[in-house]
Amino acid sequence: MKRHRIRFLPLDIVYTAEDEENLLDLALRVGVHINASCGGFGTCARCRVKLIEGEIEFRGKNDTPRLDNRENFILACQSYIKGDATIEIPLESRIDRTALEARKELNVLPASTGAISLNAIDPDPMVFKKFISLDPQGLRENIDDLSSILKTLEKDYPQTHIKVSLDALKKLPFALRSANWQATATLFYQHDDIEIINFEPEDTTERQYALAIDIGTTTVCGRIIDIKADKKRGARILGEVSDYNAQISYGDDVITRIMHTKKKGGLKRLQDAVVQTINSIIDELIDNTHISREDITLMVAAGNTTMTHLFIGVEPQYIMLEPYTPCFLFPPVVKAIEIGLRLNKDTPVFLIPCVASYVGGDIVAGVMAAELHKADGFNLFIDIGTNGEIVLSGPSWMLCASCSAGPALEGGGIKHGMRATKGAIEQIRINPLTFEPAILTIGHTKPSGICGSGLIDLIAEMFSTGMLSQNGKINRDLISDRIREKDGIWEYVLCHGEDTLTGKDITISEADIDNIMRAKAAMFAGCKVLLDISKIHFNEIDRVYIAGGFGHFIDPVKAQTIGLLPDMPVEKFKFIGNGSLQGASLYALSKEYVRAAERIVKMMTNIDLSKHSSFMEEFMAAMFLPHTDERLFPDTFKKLKKKDM
Amino acid sequence: MPFEIPKIKYTGRIKEVTIGSGNKAIKVGGESCFPFYTFEGEMPNLPKIAFEVWDSEPHDWQNWAKEPYIDVLHDPVLWAKKCIDVFGAEMIALQLISADPNGADRHIEEVVRVVKDVADAIDCPLIVWGTSNDEKDAILLRRVAEVCEGKNIAIGPVSDKNYKQIGASAIGYNHVVMASTPIDVNLAKQLNILLGNLGVKEEKILMDPTSGALGYGLEYTYSVMERDRMAALTQEDTKLQYPIICNVAQEVWKTKETRITEKEDPKLGDEKKRSILMEAITAMTLLLAGADILIMRHPESIKLIKDMIKELI
Repeated sequence: MKRHRIRFLPLDIVYTAEDEENLLDLALRVGVHINASCGGFGTCARCRVKLIEGEIEFRGKNDTPRLDNRENFILACQSYIKGDATIEIPLESRIDRTALEARKELNVLPASTGAISLNAIDPDPMVFKKFISLDPQGLRENIDDLSSILKTLEKDYPQTHIKVSLDALKKLPFALRSANWQATATLFYQHDDIEIINFEPEDTTERQYALAIDIGTTTVCGRIIDIKADKKRGARILGEVSDYNAQISYGDDVITRIMHTKKKGGLKRLQDAVVQTINSIIDELIDNTHISREDITLMVAAGNTTMTHLFIGVEPQYIMLEPYTPCFLFPPVVKAIEIGLRLNKDTPVFLIPCVASYVGGDIVAGVMAAELHKADGFNLFIDIGTNGEIVLSGPSWMLCASCSAGPALEGGGIKHGMRATKGAIEQIRINPLTFEPAILTIGHTKPSGICGSGLIDLIAEMFSTGMLSQNGKINRDLISDRIREKDGIWEYVLCHGEDTLTGKDITISEADIDNIMRAKAAMFAGCKVLLDISKIHFNEIDRVYIAGGFGHFIDPVKAQTIGLLPDMPVEKFKFIGNGSLQGASLYALSKEYVRAAERIVKMMTNIDLSKHSSFMEEFMAAMFLPHTDERLFPDTFKKLKKKDM
Repeated sequence: MPFEIPKIKYTGRIKEVTIGSGNKAIKVGGESCFPFYTFEGEMPNLPKIAFEVWDSEPHDWQNWAKEPYIDVLHDPVLWAKKCIDVFGAEMIALQLISADPNGADRHIEEVVRVVKDVADAIDCPLIVWGTSNDEKDAILLRRVAEVCEGKNIAIGPVSDKNYKQIGASAIGYNHVVMASTPIDVNLAKQLNILLGNLGVKEEKILMDPTSGALGYGLEYTYSVMERDRMAALTQEDTKLQYPIICNVAQEVWKTKETRITEKEDPKLGDEKKRSILMEAITAMTLLLAGADILIMRHPESIKLIKDMIKELI
């Protein structure tokens, strides 16, 4: 790929940019401060910079204010790098060099750098197509259709019991005769047993797709994968779609959903809601990828234990009643028709097994995506969500725990918080002298709120610029029109109303900050207690895998600055994004991962943090920026102190 | 091989804090061992008792509590002097009860005048204990710091809500602050860090872990203080290496057990003796947990405690 050299004046620092990279993206990535208020939409005109020389393509929207061409000012957010260039940062965006030096360590990890890639895997799915060509000569022997098929298959699968589903049987006579005794059977392989679940005329083995679904409490994500056995190319993701879980109208969290099942018809309503969501995701995926519905041969879903119960319509209420046991951990394989999914009637639907009431198949899937079950040394897996889940793995053992972090890091319970979707502010830098922010939104649109990764950035920046004290209180002595008291609550104005989608100010208040502090404190305390129980120190951890839907990337240094992630070298962190979806995909792709999931569940010991008195204590210790115990965050403190000077 | 008593290896030391000025100034802290474990380390400054004096006449005190001070209760200056001259007080703790917004809510300047009068009348170190109302203390203690400039008094309680205002005045007028937190090791540490960030010097901080009386959560206070000291001395937790002050008197003397007379409940025995022992046992327990300064009320319980300290060393 082509790369270009971009020189920023007056700093006179050169950074390497990707071809076609957005200039504001580059500036934020490398830590050059440019004011920006509209998220990259091109309306606020604060990110104007002077193009001294070089190749920059201006792709302005129609309503973008025209800038004085004579002066050669361009809007960074509307500028795309086509060649080497020199850019001068105008006075209003400049910060002094010492401040810049201090903020050089930027290590943004994009999603899915940490997970195993699908195309590295030879497909060996549990459900696959088999082309069968019968010899028309042999058919004169008056053998029935099914026996002919079984006889052929038995040659390939000796010692295996082969049976056929009713739906497949109904299709068999037509499939065989319409293409001159050439047909394709879809086989569902389980242990020493094969079930024929579909017959199609002709050879259709070129078209085999799997559907992977992550059933989140808030969001459901789906993916279509091409799984035909092709050693050269491996598996390929054809499309991905996500939507809100329609169950949301019955409650925001797992507990309220379970409460709803106690109402008459509640369980059915919840099941219908999520099935409906998945059906519409399937429809959209089919539309986007132009595949045929009949060619989806299997589906794998991963969800937390409650979602797994609700999806197949099994009573989940005992999860929240003493002694907190679910109905099952290993779900049965169900057929699409049994739960009303718009797929072939007999298409098997697999659910990834769960570990405990609050550690579900989504975590098993995530662990699988991070390949923790194969890893050497000590590894930590952190799923940042409403229910934070943590897995600590060592050679042939795993410990897991869940802690209630609250929805803050997914944007919930935060006045201007939102999910990581279009218009969400996901990256923030704050000028330490003027407190002017630079923001970037998902999709470069006008901002409408702040998502998890944006909140992590925001708190970290507010703290390191001295706007926040260690107990998360806004410094009232600072003079800035962005810091104000409104209705008795102190807040920082991130975006003024004229730059936002809603026309209203986007702010963060001390109450919001307190919620985020609680979330990060719960996550860190969970990690600390789990490590303490295992008598392992953070220094001994080889890798930390981060999963979660809080954004499209995470900056570990910022997350350490607020004490969400432990203080350790950044190269130890891997971000796997939606680990649940990735794990479900692996499960669909190869039997190897079906066995891995089972092994992971058996390897994992669940630790109930509510029974550990030290959890509350660690939580209090973590309710400070970055932490009450300086010795746990030596490097972070060193960096912070450097900034003070 | 000769037998050797196993010893704890201490890696930390409590900071020394001086309160007061001149030759009657008092130094506390400096321990390099657990309380009274002088066979393992040093306890260079013995724990000190501060006699409690109220800023206004107490009306709801038990007669047996009033008895020693009956002639001076109406006048804080005379009261403080009697504590020093008659009972040998080394330190006075002036409690600003009348300023409490939930009580008499006396005007700040009137209360400040009382503080100044007492401070000017005595030459031993002075502790000024506010109302525990964050807003009022922020203003009141700032004024107290101002009028007591040069006397190096201890002011508090300072909370995470008003540490900036009170801490800044303490820095400005060179006083000691008493950092008060609700019975929690981490909260105590956090407040010490915040005060440090503000610029309060290490030798100007006392910790108030919040104490309960015997039968009213004393064991909770005890275990938190014990852990404060363990962290400070054996885990090198520098942010907890501060002397501890406990405001014992008010906690003890408001309990039911110090109020019921023998006549009302004969099986509880003599009320005066019982109350004195309640105060003494609470104080003794807190000393064993690591207290460096105790604020106490009755001369007899104070005498018991002083005797105990002498015997333990």
